[in-house]
Amino acid sequence: MVGREVSESCVDSMIIEMVSSYCDRFCSAKPELAARRIEAIGYQVGLQLSERYTMERPRFSDHLEAIKFICKDFWSELFKKQIDNLKTNHRGTFVLQDNRFRWLTRMSIDPSETNANTSDDPSVATTESKSAQSASMHLYFPCGIIRGALTNLGIPCAVSADMSNLPACSFVVRIKA
Amino acid sequence: MAPLAPRTGDAVFANVERVNAELFTLTYGAIVRQLLTDLEEVEEVNKQLDQMGYNIGIRLIDEFLAKSNVSRCVDFKETADVIAKVGLKMFLGVTASVTNWDVDGTSCSLVLEDNPLVDFVELPDTCQGLYYCNILSGVIRGALEMVSMKTEVTWVRDMLRGDDAYELRLKLLKQVPEEYPYKDDE
Amino acid sequence: MIVCIAVVGHQNNPLYLQSFTEADDALKLHHIVHCSLDVIDERVNNPKKTGPTLNETFLGLLYPTENYKVYGYLTNTKVKFILVTTDLDVRDADVRNFFRRFHSAYVDAVSNPFHVPGKKITSRTFAERVSTIVKSFGLSTAV
Repeated sequence: MVGREVSESCVDSMIIEMVSSYCDRFCSAKPELAARRIEAIGYQVGLQLSERYTMERPRFSDHLEAIKFICKDFWSELFKKQIDNLKTNHRGTFVLQDNRFRWLTRMSIDPSETNANTSDDPSVATTESKSAQSASMHLYFPCGIIRGALTNLGIPCAVSADMSNLPACSFVVRIKA
Repeated sequence: MAPLAPRTGDAVFANVERVNAELFTLTYGAIVRQLLTDLEEVEEVNKQLDQMGYNIGIRLIDEFLAKSNVSRCVDFKETADVIAKVGLKMFLGVTASVTNWDVDGTSCSLVLEDNPLVDFVELPDTCQGLYYCNILSGVIRGALEMVSMKTEVTWVRDMLRGDDAYELRLKLLKQVPEEYPYKDDE
Repeated sequence: MIVCIAVVGHQNNPLYLQSFTEADDALKLHHIVHCSLDVIDERVNNPKKTGPTLNETFLGLLYPTENYKVYGYLTNTKVKFILVTTDLDVRDADVRNFFRRFHSAYVDAVSNPFHVPGKKITSRTFAERVSTIVKSFGLSTAV
């Protein structure tokens, strides 16, 4: 099992299908519920990944060290790159920015899906908002992963995503006192 | 004539973008667990996993055809071989053996020793009716439908249920050459 | 000989406890494990005493009793592993090696999607792996 790999498109298509199953079938008409479920799936994954990826390293001495671990090693394992920019207000809020978030660049702009959704109203505005909506649904999954990982490292927090600068994406971590 | 189908997917797998399998394995596990919580009935979870697989399969087939250098297979026998040796390898990094052909060559078994979906998994007693890998049978069914083969794909053996291998039974129901395939998931 | 191995969660909730001896009664071993939790908390909260091993997962010998030696390990996820042995002459490298393998078995066990975080580990595979690791304790020192 050590070093086992799968094609990236396996992971991508599974996540896309999970998100659309929850949005369109299991929780259709209840986007908040769909979001919670998708986040919960991410949370479990984050929890388990944090166990695996911290196995051979010393314990973190503070929150910043754990957050830096998420930005560097953890992110690299998942996306083969590190977080590009880390900011903090020194009062428990951290902003992790990925300038080219892989799951958005590879997934969210699915023209066939967007066309299908807007066939009855082919206005550009709708297309953009639909695609933004679907992208934001996708982001509940990585938000859950980050929250699961940090919580398991002893840092309870809330995580949200900001994608106002696509394809850059920021994850905002608010540590609970 | 179509070029000969590659006999293994090693070269294709080496050339696709790969990620470490843990994310894949754990994400699938978390999905299954969440579905069990949300849908309650194990039977319904089996059905939904198959449906999710089907939806994935009808999309993955394009990538498969584009990257594998496989063009149309001559017959169902060749198709089964290509799935076992090239398709599974290209996406999951594993291969299967094809066995137990029936006399008219319309049904066979794919036997897997292991697969990355099941790493770390132990089924609890409350989930004994669960076909944990049901997404995989759906993927194969969906992909084949896009190349005009209507199939039925079922699990015969499952190591998570105590069997000695993973065995999928592929049964060709109908082959419709050059007909536009319709989705039948509604 | 290893007589007992325990996994304890971050709220000191027991996740796994297995003894490998008939000779000692369970209550006594439970007591030893329980006492060692305090020692771990003490070590972690007053890291100066441990000097160069600051923040290392391996916590070393927690305390010796008349008949036992008790070793501890603390993961980044605040889970404690406790090893109780009757061996008097224990090599540090053997204990480290033991914990490394044990940690890896633990991580695989909690990677099971059906494992509920914070609940007891009931996995049969885990129990078998632990038993193998325990049996080979101290044997792999040739390298």
